[in-house]
Amino acid sequence: MASTKEKLIAHVSTEQAVGSKCKVTVVGVGMVGMASAISILLKDLADELALVDVMEDKLKGEAMDLQHGSLFLKTHKIVADKDYSVTANSRVVVVTAGARQQEGESRLNLVQRNVNIFKFIIPNIVKYSPNCIILVVSNPVDILTYVAWKLSGLPRNRVIGSGTNLDSARFRFLMGEKLGLHPSSCHGWVIGEHGDSSVPVWSGVNVAGVSLQGLNPDIGTDKDKEDWKSVHKMVVDSAYEVIKLKGYTSWAIGMSVADLCETILKNLHKCHPVSTLVKGMHGVKEEVFLSVPCIMGSSGLTDVVHMTLKPEEEKQLVKSAETLWGVQKELTL
Amino acid sequence: MLLVKFYLFCSLHFGFLWSLVLPSRQFFFSSLCLKSLKNLRLEGHVAPSLHPSISPRTGTPTPRRERAQRGAKGSVDLCDELALVDVIEDKLKGEMMDLQHGSLFLKTHKIVADKDYSVTANSRIVVVTAGVRQQEGESRLNLVQRNVNIFKHIIPQIVKYSPNCTLVVVSNPVDVLTYVTWKLSGLPKHRVIGSGTNLDSARFRYIMAEKLGIHATSFNGYILGEHGDSSVPVWSGANVAGVSLQKLNPAIGTDQDSENWKDAHKMVVDSAYEVIKLKGYTNWAIGLSVADLTESLVRNLSRVHPVSTMVKGMYGINDEVYLSLPCVLNSSGVASVVNMTLTDQEVAQLKKSADTLWSIQKDLKDL
Repeated sequence: MASTKEKLIAHVSTEQAVGSKCKVTVVGVGMVGMASAISILLKDLADELALVDVMEDKLKGEAMDLQHGSLFLKTHKIVADKDYSVTANSRVVVVTAGARQQEGESRLNLVQRNVNIFKFIIPNIVKYSPNCIILVVSNPVDILTYVAWKLSGLPRNRVIGSGTNLDSARFRFLMGEKLGLHPSSCHGWVIGEHGDSSVPVWSGVNVAGVSLQGLNPDIGTDKDKEDWKSVHKMVVDSAYEVIKLKGYTSWAIGMSVADLCETILKNLHKCHPVSTLVKGMHGVKEEVFLSVPCIMGSSGLTDVVHMTLKPEEEKQLVKSAETLWGVQKELTL
Repeated sequence: MLLVKFYLFCSLHFGFLWSLVLPSRQFFFSSLCLKSLKNLRLEGHVAPSLHPSISPRTGTPTPRRERAQRGAKGSVDLCDELALVDVIEDKLKGEMMDLQHGSLFLKTHKIVADKDYSVTANSRIVVVTAGVRQQEGESRLNLVQRNVNIFKHIIPQIVKYSPNCTLVVVSNPVDVLTYVTWKLSGLPKHRVIGSGTNLDSARFRYIMAEKLGIHATSFNGYILGEHGDSSVPVWSGANVAGVSLQKLNPAIGTDQDSENWKDAHKMVVDSAYEVIKLKGYTNWAIGLSVADLTESLVRNLSRVHPVSTMVKGMYGINDEVYLSLPCVLNSSGVASVVNMTLTDQEVAQLKKSADTLWSIQKDLKDL
């Protein structure tokens, strides 16, 4: 006796169903991981989303909640498991796992806690998705991207840190508020370390190609009466402030992750400030990852844009590199 | 210039989702789903013309000018201004800042937040998620009086600053609280909508579609009535490409059905409890479903959604209760209700829900 389904639907295809062509995995279903997941879903970037975490109940609950929204989404397969086999054949793996910054805690203090977690995660990711691109979000992102690169054995173009993509987005938002413009019309790049010592490149700050520094040569210095320098200070303080107010940050970082995933998955060759290996650039001698403007596409990070930096700006990058290396060389990988 | 302010309103208590703080998860999230509006002029808006199977809800056609502010969202933008309200000031400010920091990726240029309701002035839509949330194992009906007291504070303030808004109530128990909102607001009934079984139906369509190996949008089926344990799956209407499942399997939805399709509805009812047990609350699915409703309202789509509306006079119900029925939603709110042909048993279930809801409502104080 034919079942209802058999009476309703006649299967006619003789081929095997094709697997996912555009799978994204998010490792870690905390606030940042879920904000990234929902941003990716809302932008219709993937045809399969996999979630991984060690907290099984939370993981299952989050997956179910997302699946219940399937009517409103265009990602037909949402899966989750503690076991990494669920992540097989991912194109991009977003790593948000790890301990998060406590109120007042600097990113560098999280390091060793997160390195140990990565020693478990990264090899598992690569085992099931040897051709993927790893996007590291966990903090301190520059160090952890280096760690992920070392542990994965992948070429440097396929291990990218979310870096100062978010700092630059915050900078452009604040700049937009000051000028009464939409952030997408305000151009400014914050590079270097994602954190306290990030570098705002004032020479590049412009609207419609008009350099703000050309109009206000003091911009970014202490002499500037308009105190544009505080815009950068607010960017650095932002994360701490939001953490103090609501306990964590999620939405902005989630959106910035989806923005990066879009560039990679759609092979856009867009330029973003993300964390990559900068040894040999701008006077950096150590094997460290810092954010510089990079072009990305489906094979990951393909090119780096040479910024013309002032000596003070290069000095800051070199100093960050030294600080990061100071921490990295003590790590047991 | 037509400006629309999408207004997210919340009052908090326990700090987490579901019926809680808008800014935190569920609503941010539905605000994330909002599409942007260009400057539109809405004038002389009139209720849609009648279709034989739709009973008209008389909306008052009023020429109105509204200020539309572009809202932002990941891919589509529903509003041009988003306001968040809550009583926990730090959390509120933190959420607002976090959203603002994503402005580069959005198309809602103004995101504001304040404890004071004046920040909500001239909103087109107000979504209320305020209130305490279901604890593990707690039924929605148990939340009632706790949330009524909160609403007595919230609703008059909303209406004071946005007398022409449409209210979408999400807090549980949603059917009772939509009634409470209607009473407290003094707004005409078509302007007060409960999210109702929009989510139940979405879950139902997902679960049924999975069983059939198709996308949720290709399975059509409604769950009506009370949002919760006694919701009514209308098996007679369940279809794929117009092919009625009940015609293929007359036992569908009954205990005699050897394929046990009835289980799909049971899974829907249990869903919320299960997700709450696993992760502590639900937010993503409800947020997406609210954004879906808001899209119909803001973009004047006249789409049909199962939402909670005032059903006195229908299906033999004589009390003033809100239950979910398929409603046509557009910029006037609930423009009309689709007359579904229900079986006697389904009508009896609706009537029973109505009686249960009324027995709770009649004891509520100071409405």
